[in-house]
This record gives sequence, C-alpha cells and structure tokens, in this order.
Amino acid sequence: MNRVAIVGAGITDCRGRWVEATYWDLFQQATRRTLEDAKCTAGEIDSVVYGIYNDIFEHQAIPESALTGIIGMSLKPGTRVTSGGATGFYAMRTAIMEVGSGLSDLVLCIGGEKATDCFDPQSRTATPMVIDTIAKSWDPFFEYPLGATASDSYAQMCMGYDDKYPGDIGDVTVRARIIEMLCRQGNKNPFGQRRDETVTAEQVMASRWIIAPFLRLLEACMYTEGAAGVLFASEKKAREISERTGVPPIWVKGVGAANESYQAGRGGAYKPLWSIVSDRVAAERAYAMAGVKPSDIQLVELHDAFIAQFMITMGEMGFVPLGRTRKLVDDHVMADIRELGDDKRPPKGQVLINPSGGLIFGGHFVGGSNMFSMWSARREMLKRQMPLALIHGTGAINAVYGGALVVELEDGGVR
Amino acid sequence: MILGEAWNLPREVTEIQGKDPGTYLAFNTHMVTFYQQTYGELSRFFLALRDGRLIGSRCPRCQQVNVPAATWHCPTCDFVEMEEVELPHRGVLAATAPITIFPSASFIGDAPFARGYVDVATDAPIASYLPSRLRTTTGLPRPGIFVKGVELKLVFENERIGSIRDIFWVPMSEVPAKLRDRKPLLAPQLDFARPRAPAVERSKEAEKALAGALSAMRDLSGKVKKSPRAQKDLSGRKHSIGVKTGGGNFTFQVAAGGIRVGAGLPRKADFVMVAQDPGVFSRWVADGSLTDAAVEGKLWLPHQEAFGVLPILDRLPRSVRRDLK
Repeated sequence: MNRVAIVGAGITDCRGRWVEATYWDLFQQATRRTLEDAKCTAGEIDSVVYGIYNDIFEHQAIPESALTGIIGMSLKPGTRVTSGGATGFYAMRTAIMEVGSGLSDLVLCIGGEKATDCFDPQSRTATPMVIDTIAKSWDPFFEYPLGATASDSYAQMCMGYDDKYPGDIGDVTVRARIIEMLCRQGNKNPFGQRRDETVTAEQVMASRWIIAPFLRLLEACMYTEGAAGVLFASEKKAREISERTGVPPIWVKGVGAANESYQAGRGGAYKPLWSIVSDRVAAERAYAMAGVKPSDIQLVELHDAFIAQFMITMGEMGFVPLGRTRKLVDDHVMADIRELGDDKRPPKGQVLINPSGGLIFGGHFVGGSNMFSMWSARREMLKRQMPLALIHGTGAINAVYGGALVVELEDGGVR
Repeated sequence: MILGEAWNLPREVTEIQGKDPGTYLAFNTHMVTFYQQTYGELSRFFLALRDGRLIGSRCPRCQQVNVPAATWHCPTCDFVEMEEVELPHRGVLAATAPITIFPSASFIGDAPFARGYVDVATDAPIASYLPSRLRTTTGLPRPGIFVKGVELKLVFENERIGSIRDIFWVPMSEVPAKLRDRKPLLAPQLDFARPRAPAVERSKEAEKALAGALSAMRDLSGKVKKSPRAQKDLSGRKHSIGVKTGGGNFTFQVAAGGIRVGAGLPRKADFVMVAQDPGVFSRWVADGSLTDAAVEGKLWLPHQEAFGVLPILDRLPRSVRRDLK
C-alpha cells in the first residue's frame, strides 16, 4: 500500500440537539472546517467518503446524496459507509484504501449524525425514540422483538467479562475516577458537548442506574449531533499541503479491523460473551502492520460507549492485562491531565486516553465519532509532539465490530 | 395492533428555540414502514415454537448446533446442508443477564425485564446461544437470579403466534418438581401473579433505622403539602402500599396530592414491598432513589405496576427541594 497521510481535520460544535442545523449544514460545516485546516479547496478533492450510521436518524435513505452539491463534491465519486458505532473508523479505512491503492490522491472523509430529531409521542420526549431507532440495528426476528437496545447489549459484554474476571470492572470507585479524569480532559475540548460540566466521582456513584451493576447515568455517553472531517492525502499531495499549512503530515502506519459473528455462542465462529474479540483482533492487526507494540503508544482515542467497556477495550488492546484493567487507575497507567498540562507528553508507563473527553464528554455523533477521535488525536500529537497514536472504534450488537488505526507524526515527533 | 394508539402526532409545524439566537421551525413527521415480512428460512423454527417445540439446525460434519435455527447451510463446512434437531426444554444461562429499566419506545411498559443468552444444545461441541426473555416467579427481575450457569426451564405462552416472544425461560429451581420434565410447559402452569415476598430478619439496629426512616418520611410528607411541584407529581394518584422491613412494617399511602406513613401494614394494600434495610427509605428522602434500590435488589417488588409507582415517588424529594429553596 502507498503511504497515506492525514493533512487536515475539523469538527463542528457537538450539541445534544442542533436546532439550528439539519445534517446538510452540519456536514457542510465539517467540510469547511476541514478544508480551512488543510488550506485546500473543494476543487482539489478527488473523492469523498461519508460516514453516516442510521438512515432513520437522518430520515433519508441514501442520506449522503443530499450532500454532494452542498459540500462542493459535484461530479466526484462518493461512497457512504455505515458500520454502527464503528462507522467513522470504517469510513476512514475506506478513504485510506482509496489513497493507499493509488486510486485517489486526496480524499475527504466526513462523518456525522443527526440523532435527536426523533420524538416519542408516548412520553413526549426524544430519548425512548432515539433508543428505539438504534435498536432497529438489531434484527427483526429475535433481538429487536426481545427489546434489545445498545445499552443492554454493551452491558451484556460487561457482564460476560465480569463473570470471567470478577472484581475488575465492577468497582464503581475505579470507574468514577476515570469519569472524573475524562471530564477534566473534556473541559479542554472547545467543541465538546459537555465542556462546561464538572463531574465528581461522588456524583457518578450517586447517579441513577441505567443497567446495574455496570452502568450509571454519569458513566454513559450522550446522544450528540455534529459532524467531523478528516483529509487523507497521498505522499506527494501531503508534502504539498504540509508546505502550505506548515503542519507536518500524520502518517497512517497501521489499520486493523474485525467483525465478529452476529450470533453469540460457544466455540466455532460464534461470538463469545466474555470478550470483545473484535477490539483485540483489530488492534493486533493494526500493530502488526505498523510494526509497533502497545507499550510504544502513549496516546489513545478510543470509542467509549461507557466506562466499563472503556476498561475492557484497553485490556483487549493490550495496554493493561485482561482481568486487571483497573490498573488504569490503581497503577496510574491512565495519565492525569492535571499533571501533563496542555503540552507535555505522559511519562513512561502512562497513556493519555481520550484527551477529547471521549464520546462520554466530547460527544458521540455516531457516523463521525471515530473521526472526532482522529481530529483529537492529531491535535494532541501536534501539541505534545507525540510520535504515535491509536484510534479505536467499536459498534453493532454486543460490540462485534472493531477497528483500530495507528498513526505516526512525521519524523516521529522530532522537528 | 403493531402500533399503540399513542403512536401518532398532530400534523403541525411549531416554532422552537435552539442554543443560538433566532427562531427555527420543527415539523412533525414519521418514518414508519409496515411489513408483512416473511420469516423465510426461519419459518421452520417459528412453526416449531407454535407447536410447542424447540429446534435447531445441526451440521453433520462439524456437529455445530445453531439455535435459533438461523441458517440451514453450515458456513464453516462449505455450506453443507444442516439437519433439523429437536432440542431439550432445559438450558443453562451463558452469561449473567442485563436487566433493562429504560426501554426503547416500543417497549415502554415492559420494564424491568431481563434478556439473556441461553445455552440449549449443551451436548454439542459448538453451539450458538438462544437470545430470550427471562422471567422469575419471585417478583420483579433483580440481580442474583439470572446469573451465569443458572439452570433454566423453557416455558411456552399459552397463545403462540410464531414469535420469539412465544417462549421465555424460568430458573429451574422455581419450577415444581413434577413440572420440570413437562414438554411443553405452559406459562399458566406457573404462578407469576402472586410471588411470595421474601422474609426479613428482624434486628434492633433495623428497628432504629426504621424509626429514623419514618421520621424522615413524615418530614417529607409535611414538605410535600407545601410544594406545588410535588402536588403535580402526585396528582390523580392513590396508592395504599404495605412495606415490610427488618425493623418492622409500615404503611405508605398516597392520596389527595400527599403522602402519609403509619405503623403496621394497611388492612387493604394495593401491594406490599419488602426492604431488609429501612435505610432505603431514609436515603430516598435524602435525594436518593427507590427505583435504584429496586434495581439493586434492595427493595423487593411483586409486579410491574409497583415498579411504575417508584419514579413518581423518586421525584418528590427533588420537587420539594426546588419549591422550598
């Protein structure tokens, strides 16, 4: 594969509801910000890849078709990718393949979601209908009629993990500490949905149950409307753009992906209920392609649906041992932003995780969440001169979809 | 009917405000598609459910069993044709089950419910798990019942239409011995309507805790009378609830926009709740949550109607606090 670089990124304000914008405007905003960041024009783009998760949210099948002209992509090829929560990751993987194969030199990858126009006439609120819309990602023969939702599906993975490794993710004081840390990090994200909040560990432990015993209200990500863009370039184009912007390219070093079987079960190809295998396999493939180990990476933006799953994912990706993911807090593996400030690298043995505030505090506009993570990882790499970063995405029933990207700052961080 | 009567909105456009200045319009609309959807190759599985049977598909080469029978050609063995296999009406819960308390719009009214994965083809070397609803005859679903490894009995609804909801599982320990081998076991043969309330252990400590809880609730009762928000929360509600605790029993009444507690169980209770620790109620008054206590298993409830009352009661301490600020 030819070298692929990230030469620009941009995101919109992350809001619980964008009354002021349809997804048309959100995607145009993201496009504008991305092109401004890269000092590029729409005319220079060869092709566009869209990440939009759920047609029902956008209230339009072929939702990206309405965007072509508005974002300046008339007569360019356009591909829409949808992979549940991992949509942003898979859209980026698609853009990377286009550039890496030599088919295109400059690919705009934009993702977003407009989730909270949904409305439940029974309660006269949005949330039950937002949950129902996501639940339609589960099959109509078995899971949906049983009342399965994203919350209990991810909670099932946590329960399966806890059955096998008791005493790890079940300690709410550990989970609450992680929330406190993420909140402080989210305060530094000028686009973050919850950037003005202060959440203490005590508040987390007093917040209402969503699913006992692994998910309280203040441990879960919110529904977000917003969009993000990432610009991928071939080596030649990357050098040119880097000259213009004065910003070094971020090189794609490794991409790994894996989708487990839909049906849970025992043995064979069935999906086990005690492991997020997709996370582990995707990360291993990304590491292999990049020629790195987890201990080489000190910056991670992972897809955190909720904290118990965040912990399992860090274990599956090899940063802490499975069964002892609480070392993130107990052994100070998770870096504390109060110690790092705005521009320092974490000390050896520590990892800066979700400096964006993650999906929990930053925002989760599903189709573009993993691009939001990429935007943040790039920003932090440049600020802190960090040589490597890992971006992760997860999605679908029981977290069966998994993706991981390893990226490297030009010259390994040394200017 | 597929959609309840409330599933509609007036055809209208309203003005709404956002974060940024300016007036915006919102239009009511829908994205509803109706189906007469074929079950296709899954029909065999659902026809069997209608007949009170549980079937899977089994690969003659690798011996894996697929339940529900979602495919009839083995993806591991070059899509060789699989054969139908009759499955036992016993299973083992493959992983501790999550209990949903905030359902999606289509399942409002169902909560709390437990949904889990059952290992049915336990003799097969490779097998999928059957996603199913799990029910208990001991009150509402709560932690400690649907745990990994618990042996389950398959139960069929009396009226079956060909839906995954035609069946559910109950812990084998709750099924009377003479019914454990019944195939099919039908829902009316078990008693879900009158669960036996758990016993409480009396103690001096709990008696003291109860006195504190009653005092806190009487204090709250006084504040509720002066709180317009709390009046609104309770408007139209009338309940006579018996509560058993480790410190003794009390009556909890809701009527005329107010709450009242008294010693002993009511003569005629709408339902009875049980909390070993009377502190559940003191904590509720101090901005806690009875719903959370129920979800944690610290407050036992007999049925869903009881569970539906809790969110209303949970609002009271906050309403009172906001009004009497």
